Amino acid sequence: MKKWLIQDSWRHLLSIAICLFALFPLYLVVISSFSSTGSLQLSSFIPQEISFKNYEKLFNDPTIPYLTWVKNSLIIAGSVAVLSVVIGSASAFAFSRLKFKGRKIGIQTLLLVQMFPAILAISAVYVIMERVYKFAPAIGLGTQAGLLLVYLGGAMGVNIWLLKGFVDSIPAELDEAAKIDGASEVQTFWLIFVPLAAPVLAVVSLLSFIGTFNEFILARLFLVDMETRTVAVGLQQFIGGQYSQNWGPFAAGSILASIPIVIIFLSLQKYIVSGLTAGSVKG
Amino acid sequence: MTYLIRGKVAIFLKVILLTLLGSVLLLLAQSAVAQREYVIAAFLGFSVLALALTYLTKISIPLKFFIPGILLLAAFVIGPILYTVTMSGFNYKTGNIISKEEAIIQVKIRGVEAAPSGLTYDVKLGKSSGLPAILVSDITNLQYFISTKDNRVSVAPGQVTLNEYGVAITAPNFIALNESEFASADKIYSGTRFTFDDQSFVALEGFEAGIVSQQILEYLPTQDVFKNLIDGGIYRDNGRGNYALENDDTVILEPGWRAPIWFENYSKIVTDPRVREPIIRVFIWTVVFALATVLTTFALGLLLALALNKPIRGRRIYRSVLVLPYAMPSVMSILIWGGMFNTEFGAINTLLGTDIAWFSDPNFARVAVILVNLWLGFPYFYLISSGALQAIPSELLEAAAIDGANPRQIFRKITLPLLLQVLSPLLIASFAFNFNNFNLIYLLTGGGPRNELDGEIAGATDILISYTYKIAFGSGTQDLGLASAISLIIFLLIASISLYGLRKSKVLETFG
Repeated sequence: MKKWLIQDSWRHLLSIAICLFALFPLYLVVISSFSSTGSLQLSSFIPQEISFKNYEKLFNDPTIPYLTWVKNSLIIAGSVAVLSVVIGSASAFAFSRLKFKGRKIGIQTLLLVQMFPAILAISAVYVIMERVYKFAPAIGLGTQAGLLLVYLGGAMGVNIWLLKGFVDSIPAELDEAAKIDGASEVQTFWLIFVPLAAPVLAVVSLLSFIGTFNEFILARLFLVDMETRTVAVGLQQFIGGQYSQNWGPFAAGSILASIPIVIIFLSLQKYIVSGLTAGSVKG
Repeated sequence: MTYLIRGKVAIFLKVILLTLLGSVLLLLAQSAVAQREYVIAAFLGFSVLALALTYLTKISIPLKFFIPGILLLAAFVIGPILYTVTMSGFNYKTGNIISKEEAIIQVKIRGVEAAPSGLTYDVKLGKSSGLPAILVSDITNLQYFISTKDNRVSVAPGQVTLNEYGVAITAPNFIALNESEFASADKIYSGTRFTFDDQSFVALEGFEAGIVSQQILEYLPTQDVFKNLIDGGIYRDNGRGNYALENDDTVILEPGWRAPIWFENYSKIVTDPRVREPIIRVFIWTVVFALATVLTTFALGLLLALALNKPIRGRRIYRSVLVLPYAMPSVMSILIWGGMFNTEFGAINTLLGTDIAWFSDPNFARVAVILVNLWLGFPYFYLISSGALQAIPSELLEAAAIDGANPRQIFRKITLPLLLQVLSPLLIASFAFNFNNFNLIYLLTGGGPRNELDGEIAGATDILISYTYKIAFGSGTQDLGLASAISLIIFLLIASISLYGLRKSKVLETFG
C-alpha cells in the first residue's frame, strides 16, 4: 500500500461513503430516466438498457406540456432576476452611499421585513390577489403576471439586504471622486456604480433566478391552468400519487430542468457561500 | 448607453415612461373603485402621486432610488403583513367570508321555504312585456296565469295552447324563450320571485316546475335583526359574524360574515383544547425537527470539512460531488426522495430488503424527513465549515501542538470553540430557516401520516407552517383568521431568533 493511502484512509473512506450517499438519489433518477419501464423500481444498479422513451414522451406527449412549463419558468425566473436586481440595486446604493434622514430606521425596517418568511403572509397574498382579480383579471390570482409581481415584491427585502452588503464592500473613493467632479447622485449610480458592480449584480440576479426557479408554493397556489404552470409545479402535479406510472418521464424532466441550475450553482459557488454567510439561506 | 441618452431626450423618455406607467396605474385604480376596493384604489392613486412627485420634481434625491422598491415592498410584503394582522383579529373562516351586507342578502335568499299549501305547478319560461315571466299551468284545476316579479295576470283556458301533458305553452302577451335565450336564462330566472299572492311567490325548481314558496325570514333594518315570520323567532347579530337566535345562540343563520373578534383567535390557541393540543404537538415536533436538522447537517458537514481540510488526493472530485445535493433544485430532490421512500416501488425498501410503509408510520416518517433534510443540508455546512477552518490561524494550532496537546485536545479546546463562535449565527439562521421549511414537509410527506379517525388535520410530520397552511387552505373548514394569528406568532418567534443571531454576528453594530 502506498503511504498516502494508509495515512489518510479514514478521510477517503468517509468521503467516499458520503459521496455515495450524495450520489445515490441522483444516480437513481438518471438510470430511471433512461429505463424503458418508466418505474422507479431499483431492479439493478447497472442499467440493462438505455432507452430514450421517457425523454421522447416528455417532448411529444400532448398531455405533458413540458416545454411550456420550462418556458414559463424561464420567463418568470428571468424577469424576476433582472427586474429585482435593477430595482433592488438602486435602493441598496441609496442605503449604502447616500446620507438622508430616516436611513437608520429604513435599514432596521428592511431588516425586519426581509426576516418575514413570505409563506407566512401567503393567505393574505392570496386574498388580496383574489380581490385584484375582480377588477384586473390580467394581474390577479391565477395569472403569471400576478405571480411575477408577488415574486418581485418578495425578492425586494432579501435582495436589497444582500446587495447592500455587497455595495458596502465596494470602496467609495470612485463615487466620491465623481461627486467632486460634479456628477449628480443619479449619474454616479449609472455611470460609476453600475459598471463597477456589474459582476456582483450578475451574481445576485442569478441567485434570484435560482431561488425563483425553485419556488413552489406560491406558484402552486397561483398557477392553476396546465399551460401556465412552472416546471416545479408541473412536475409535482404530474407525479402526484402516480409514482409507478409517471416516474420515468418525471425523472427525465427533473434532470433536464436541474442541469442548468446545477451548472449556474457550481460556477457561482464562491459567491453563494459568501452570500450565505451574509445572513441568507438558500430555499 | 447612458452617455447617449442625455438632456432633452432623456427627459422626454422619462416623461413618456412615467405617463404610461401612471395611466396604467390610474386605470387600475378606477376599476378598483368600481369594484369598491377602496384601499387598493387608494394605494394605486398614492403610487401615481409618489412616482410623479419623485421623478418630476426635486423633492428628494434618495427617493428617486427608493420609490420603485418601496412601492413593491409596500404592495406585496408590507401590505400582506398588515392584512395578516387585520385578518387575525377577525372571525374569518368558511361560512364567514363575505361582508355583512352580502351576508344579509344571502340570508334573505336562503330564508325561503315551500308554502304550507305545498302547491307545485308546471311552468313555461318566457317574457311578458319585455320582463322575465313564467306561464303557470294548474293542470288539475285547469287554471293558467302569467307571472312576473311585479304582478300576476290570469289567462282564460280558451286563450292558451296546451301540449300533450296539458301544460300551457303559448298565451297572449307571452313569448316563450328560444333556445339561445334558454342557455343563459338560469341566473335571471332562478333568482326571481314570481308573484303568486300577497304572502307567497313562485320559485322555480329547475326549468319546468315552480313551487309556491314564502319568505320565512324577514330582515328588519331598523333593529338589524332577522325575524322568522312563522314562529316569530328573532335572530340578532351575535357580534361574532352571525345572526343567532335570541333564546338559543347555538342556532345561527348561514352564511355569516367576517366580523371583528379582536384577540379571540389568539386566546383560542391557549384556551380551546381542540386548537391548543394539536398546536402543542406540532410545535414540539417543529423544534425537534429544526434542532435535529441543524445538529445532523452541521455534524456531517463539519466531519467532512475536517476530513478534507488536508490536501489529500481527489479532494477536488470529492468536493464537487459533495455539493451536488445543494446545487440541485430542492423541489426536484424532495420529490425524488419521496419516490424513493415509496413502499411498493421505492429504492430504499429495495436496498434494505424491507417493505416499510415509510409515510404511514409516524416514527418512520419523521426519520425519513430528517434523513432527507440531512441530504439536502449537509453540503451547506460542509462549505461554510471548510471556509471557517481555513480561517483559523495556523499559528494557534502549531503553538498548541508544541505545548504538547494531542490532535483531539486541539480540536476540542481550540478548533471547535473558534468554529462555533464564527458559525453560531449561521446555525441560528439555519434553525430559523428549517423552522419554516414548508417545501420539505409539504412535498415529502404532506405533513402526514395523520389520524383519519379523529378528524384532526395535523399530521405527525406537520411543522407549524405546514399546519397553518392546512388551516388556511385545507379541505375542511378554512380558517383564515386563526391561520393569520398563528402566522404572526411564528413571525415573532422567528424574528426574535434571527435578531438574536444577528446580534451575535454583530451586524447590528455596523448600523449608522
